[in-house]
Amino acid sequence: MAAGDCEARLGPHPTQAIDRSKPIAFRFEGEPVQAFEGDTIASALYAAGVRIFSRSFKYHRPRGLTCVAGRCSNCLMTVDGVPNVRVCAAPATDGVVVSRQNAWPSLERDLLSVLDRFGWAMPVGFYYKSLYRPRLLWKIASPIIRRVAGIGAVAAEAPSVARYTHRNLHAEVAVVGGGAAGMSAALAASDAGVRVVLIDDEPALGGSLRYDLRSYPEAAGQPAAHGYETANDLAGAVQSSPNVEVLTGATAFGLYEGNLLGIRRGSEFVKLRAKSIVAATGAYEQPLLYDRNDLPGTFLSSGLRRLMHLHRLRPGGAALVAATNDEGYHAALDLVNSGVQVVALVDSRPRFPHDLDAAKELQTRGVLVLPSHGVVRAEGTKRVAGAAVSRLTEGRPTTEEREFDCDLICLSGGFTPAGALLAQAGAAFGFNAALGESVPVKLPPGVFAAGSVTGASGLDDALRQGREAGAAAAEGGALSFFRPPETAPARVDAAPLAEAPGSRGFVCLCEDITSKDVVTAIREGFTDIQTLKRYSTVTMGPCQGKMCHRALVSLCALEMRQPPDAVGATTQRPPLQPVPLGALAGAAYLPIKRTPMDRRHRAAGARMVDVGPWQRPHSYGSPRDECLAVRNRVGIIDVSTLGKLDVAGADAPAFLDRMYTHKFSTLRPGRTRYGILCTDSGSILDDGTVTRLREDRYFVTTSTTNVDTVEDWFRWWLAGARWRVYVTNVTSAYASINVAGPRARETLAKLTDVDISRRAFKYMRSAEGNVAGVPCLFLRVGFVGETGWELHVPAQYGEHVWDALLEAGEEFGIAKFGVEAQRILRLEKKHIIPGQDTDLVSNPLDSGSAWTVRFDKEDFIGREGLAAARERGARELLVGFVMQERVVPSDGNAVTVGGFPVGRVTSARLSPTTGQAFGLARVPAELAQEGQEIHIHVEGRDLPAAVRLEPLYDPKGERLRA
Amino acid sequence: MGFLLKCPNCGERTVYEYRSGGEETDRPQPGDPAQDWTRYFYLRRNAAGDQREWWYHALGCRRWLIAVRDTVTNQVKETYWPGEAQA
Repeated sequence: MAAGDCEARLGPHPTQAIDRSKPIAFRFEGEPVQAFEGDTIASALYAAGVRIFSRSFKYHRPRGLTCVAGRCSNCLMTVDGVPNVRVCAAPATDGVVVSRQNAWPSLERDLLSVLDRFGWAMPVGFYYKSLYRPRLLWKIASPIIRRVAGIGAVAAEAPSVARYTHRNLHAEVAVVGGGAAGMSAALAASDAGVRVVLIDDEPALGGSLRYDLRSYPEAAGQPAAHGYETANDLAGAVQSSPNVEVLTGATAFGLYEGNLLGIRRGSEFVKLRAKSIVAATGAYEQPLLYDRNDLPGTFLSSGLRRLMHLHRLRPGGAALVAATNDEGYHAALDLVNSGVQVVALVDSRPRFPHDLDAAKELQTRGVLVLPSHGVVRAEGTKRVAGAAVSRLTEGRPTTEEREFDCDLICLSGGFTPAGALLAQAGAAFGFNAALGESVPVKLPPGVFAAGSVTGASGLDDALRQGREAGAAAAEGGALSFFRPPETAPARVDAAPLAEAPGSRGFVCLCEDITSKDVVTAIREGFTDIQTLKRYSTVTMGPCQGKMCHRALVSLCALEMRQPPDAVGATTQRPPLQPVPLGALAGAAYLPIKRTPMDRRHRAAGARMVDVGPWQRPHSYGSPRDECLAVRNRVGIIDVSTLGKLDVAGADAPAFLDRMYTHKFSTLRPGRTRYGILCTDSGSILDDGTVTRLREDRYFVTTSTTNVDTVEDWFRWWLAGARWRVYVTNVTSAYASINVAGPRARETLAKLTDVDISRRAFKYMRSAEGNVAGVPCLFLRVGFVGETGWELHVPAQYGEHVWDALLEAGEEFGIAKFGVEAQRILRLEKKHIIPGQDTDLVSNPLDSGSAWTVRFDKEDFIGREGLAAARERGARELLVGFVMQERVVPSDGNAVTVGGFPVGRVTSARLSPTTGQAFGLARVPAELAQEGQEIHIHVEGRDLPAAVRLEPLYDPKGERLRA
Repeated sequence: MGFLLKCPNCGERTVYEYRSGGEETDRPQPGDPAQDWTRYFYLRRNAAGDQREWWYHALGCRRWLIAVRDTVTNQVKETYWPGEAQA
């Protein structure tokens, strides 16, 4: 696109946002586009001659810039791979790559626009009406619809292109909206000496005053000046106030409980917590409803003023202005002053506004003003080529029509308060008949409102309300300041489009919903605005009702013959502006815990696996070989991830007796006992070993992922209970290694002076001593079912002891083994893993651990629940099984009887020791008989297996105790 | 999103630093009727309004506290250590 197009810009002006000394270049659809700093992508494209900015959601109709303020969905494009960016609010930056969406082959010539001719075949709710029978039809249709309809596509194959961060902010007062009211509120709060954050979605403060060329008399302490001068003045004061932090280019999309504002600012998600919130969110200008009101060239009057004053663009050659209020006259005057011919100004109000200076000025300039007229039709196919206007009688069009040639239609339908944040905060709204709008009438504590969001209009009101709201918010008074508007701007709405055959006026640009669709839906019985919304999807598109809610309400009122306040409103929920999921998610921080020997495992080429937050070696090669090494020689495994708690204090023995099903007050120092923790209703919470180090000190281990749960659990029972017990989580203080296998004793003997002989160091005993020269706690336990010791040494010596063991065991054929080998070995021993072999209702009685439950204790956590379970008898039991064939079922496969599922596999593996496929399963109690034949459903077949009650390996535990 | 909770030890913090422990319950004594235990195991008042409940300051001092929270508005009226008298 030629750089020369930029010459179409108007001369310099104090309102301009662009800096002509700083050129920028970016690409659109592969073509270079010239821009200036301060341009939006949209203003640069408009300057370069682009008029069609998107193709519509359903019918692929051409759409152009309309609001130019980031509200409507007409300029959604893909920017640097991020879909659905409103380019009218996206700053043009050097090198950015912009492309079209939802159009093929191009925006100008979209072949799918043929759909527009079949609008009759797609009435409101057409999915529900036509695509439900036969069922197959939807299966065929939905992929086609998904391809054809909709907006931007997420690049599924590419990694996420955007990087988002989160920031927390705190303030006494948060002011949302940087217009006259918001700036005034921020200054008043700042004067009270509190910390203020001012949020605005524009790149600069000022709101609509930024592009307001009107002269205002002295107002609320501000000297007489042009609107934009007052904006600059206030913005300067705000920027120089040390108490105010200004966030421009930031969208407050949600107001949540506790006055928490969700704010998106580019790639940053700001969570702002404020004592008080001032909503100075302004108002949205509304379009008008007539035939083909969506043709490119149709603008809101504020949109045209933004293009002209901020970006210095002459938007077109000739404009028709359609107004329902005074605002249209100001816009028309701005157009004339920018060199656009105004072919006519039609005003739905019956009388010419003689006391309005802009109106008189227009007359002097020879602009045709037609009171009691409204636009009924736009001419043109891909852009506006003309407009037909009609005389209105009682607000309804007549047959008396006139046509004008123009390339712009400037709409001034009045302003509707932007009350979404207030609604989210729980403000009550009421219909104000003088305004013809829903306005906030009651605000929750800590929430204040100022400016046009309250329905007020005019600079004076905005400044005054802002100051009062800011001061009240700074005081933090419980009673929110709120003053309903006293003066109503004169506006007369033309009746919505008469339904001429073949005419299409779009209520909802986002979802391609015409006034006819809405009327049809109402006639079909959707007379409640909330269900009407769900059925027709009106207000559910990217604009979230900003451009369509008022038109929807007036259409409903007309069609249902009810006053607008009886029609009600749709619920406004966060986010009020689309937020990328990535912004909410933030940076992908996945905390990883590494054991003290982590470097050794990686150096040895271990395949790592995630176990909760930990990364552990799955295996170092072949899990089968690792198993055989442990069974026949000696192996070591890094078990540093075991949860470890130090439980000390005079009441520690009684406390552990209360927590566990087993008894620990009777455990002698130097001994270890297996224990199960249950919830009070008897379900298994976790298991582990408890070692009594001294009379008043225990060393407790938990399973890898449960240490926090167990710590919380202990602390919970201790809270307020006056036990003399101190719980310390020492998990990361120790490196832990399990040395196991028939030659474990010989290996360890080389490194320690502790007597580990068979007679001196029996199974389930503990000792403290040295290993490889460092202090160590030795526990003789046997999760894998061989002679073995769990060694707990200070974490910083982990690598040292690991290396020493490997060296000492070399002559015995020592092997490192990983989690997978451990899982196989423990399964051969029928040792359960809580959460794997148990679920939320499993108890020790049905999980082969009845021996751990000491009903002879007066009380323990779970006693009553387990006593009741014992009385009921188990319905389901955890049993071992061996498959007839060498087929390994998956965890969770069904146990079947006569083809019906009656139980499930909890763990299954191939035993390297016996060569059989085997595992654990939960089966009905009556099947828990040695040798009982059951079937297990594997890949469509029910395969025979036999119940085995004893462990597959070393059922008597002779090797374990050896 | 979330509200603020005042930890008696650490001060006012976002609720994301805490783990909820559910509403306060009274554990029956051993030997109490089975109905009492059943109620304690499975039934909760689930009040719409003020509720005394457990919170654990997991990302802070790792202590359990009691909060009185309006479950409708998420307004936290007060917090205190279990076993200590209410303010």
